[in-house]
Amino acid sequence: MTVLLKTENLTKKYKDEIATEAVSFELEKNTSTALIGPNGAGKTTILSMLAGLVTPTTGTISFLDKKTTDIREVIGFLPQYPKFFSWMSALEFTEMAARLSGVDAKKATIEAKKTLEFVGLGDSMNKKTGTFSGGMKQRLGLAQAIVHKPSLLLLDEPVSALDPIGRRQVMNLLKELQQEVTILYSTHILNDAEEMTDQLLFLRQGKLVEQGSLSEVRSRYAEPRIIIEFQNSAELIRFSQISPWQFIPNGMSVTIDVSSELVEMSDVLALLHNGAFQLRKVERETASLEDIFMKVALS
Amino acid sequence: MGNFSILLQKEWREQTRNFKILWIPLFFIIFGIIEPITNHFLPEIMKSVGNMPEGAEFIWPEFRGEDIFISLLGQYQIMGILVIVLAFMGSISSERKSGTATLLYVRPISFRAYFLSKWIVVNGIVLGSVWLGFMAAWYYINILFNYVDIGSIFQFVAAYSLWIVFVVTVVLTFSAAFSTGLGATLAILITLIFQVVDSLIGAYWTISPWKLPIYASNAFDGNISTANFWWSVGTTIVIIIVLILVGVVMSKRNAAKTTV
Repeated sequence: MTVLLKTENLTKKYKDEIATEAVSFELEKNTSTALIGPNGAGKTTILSMLAGLVTPTTGTISFLDKKTTDIREVIGFLPQYPKFFSWMSALEFTEMAARLSGVDAKKATIEAKKTLEFVGLGDSMNKKTGTFSGGMKQRLGLAQAIVHKPSLLLLDEPVSALDPIGRRQVMNLLKELQQEVTILYSTHILNDAEEMTDQLLFLRQGKLVEQGSLSEVRSRYAEPRIIIEFQNSAELIRFSQISPWQFIPNGMSVTIDVSSELVEMSDVLALLHNGAFQLRKVERETASLEDIFMKVALS
Repeated sequence: MGNFSILLQKEWREQTRNFKILWIPLFFIIFGIIEPITNHFLPEIMKSVGNMPEGAEFIWPEFRGEDIFISLLGQYQIMGILVIVLAFMGSISSERKSGTATLLYVRPISFRAYFLSKWIVVNGIVLGSVWLGFMAAWYYINILFNYVDIGSIFQFVAAYSLWIVFVVTVVLTFSAAFSTGLGATLAILITLIFQVVDSLIGAYWTISPWKLPIYASNAFDGNISTANFWWSVGTTIVIIIVLILVGVVMSKRNAAKTTV
């Protein structure tokens, strides 16, 4: 895998407030990375620094794909609440965006139309953006971010302003794009992150506290529990008499926390086997991203 | 400068669609028409609505066409400048505040092209409006007063135009450097209030942009071309260039303040 972008010790200070502190990560080509963290963790600041809007106080951003002096040439940026000139039509805006990024005039018109069709604004491309709803603005924002075929797409909360249908549609568009572009996006909606992510960057109070693929992070924060469901209550009682571990009964099943060092998963299974319990199911539960989020955010 | 023409087109489109291209010229033209008409008919107006006692007689000063041009300039110096400041005070700062600038700043634009595109379009509109205003005045002055030599009018308008470019540059640079409110206040201070200062204690200096409108009036006496005038022209041009440079630097520096 080739690395497209690398940041080293990215720090941004505003007077006496630290927005981000020593954030280092790499983005591999044609992968998508989710930037997650509670509000005010510095997600937007990082995206703004990568977009060239904000200059880092210290630290470096290096773009390794090709020699480029201005990072703005190769990125597409979608702010959380994209704002457009209300007197411009969607097509005019997208066309202007493409031309400002170096697409020549004729091609800009063709590409703008194609992109607007792609994001589902084909019917309203000649309407003024001032009349657009929030969802339409979000789609137009996406269109202007991808119209010039950037190699890095920076998206700040691309779907959080959308309804569930719009969210699904935009997520599908992003998954389609994922094949040919590197995506870094911030999100609150952890289901999305779970769905479309090769790398997770977890920020808290401006610091990168967790980093890795979803399964890596998950295994680190896994708090595995075993849920055992018995055939009948007699079996449950029999189990409770011989079980050396703490457990939480719930109807016909018990939950055993196997994250502590006192409990070994294999011991539990051995006991069940040796006792020849009549079981309905044995299930191992892993932490969801939401559980991990809570844990990291509150720790 | 590849982006320059695109940004220029954007500015032009914006001014067309928000109708500034229409109402600003109209404003200056209306003043240009009203000034000669009211001055010409003032004695009649006073007679019919003034409620003057029987037999009262007022001696009105005999205005020449040249005087009307100068008094129109006086109107533009207050009302005209106020309109310029109010219409364009947010050119850069409100784009930043509303966040519409963000999607421009994340593209590979040069801030020189960004600032100059605004500077050229705004100057185009304002200068065009001032010229149309003086043309309208010239038409009515010809009818109602006397023929004024076209050569002196040309000198007069040219000298005043440089002052107008100075005003526009001040407004845009302050819009780049400050928030809309602060920028507009400072611009009014410099272009309007400082006129008063210049007229009160300005006798101590002879070279300044604020003197340009006064020197412009000398065109009608045929003695505009003095050393003081040319020094003021030179100084004003230098100040305009410096302000443009400051405007470019400040729009770049303040780009980080745009609402994301």
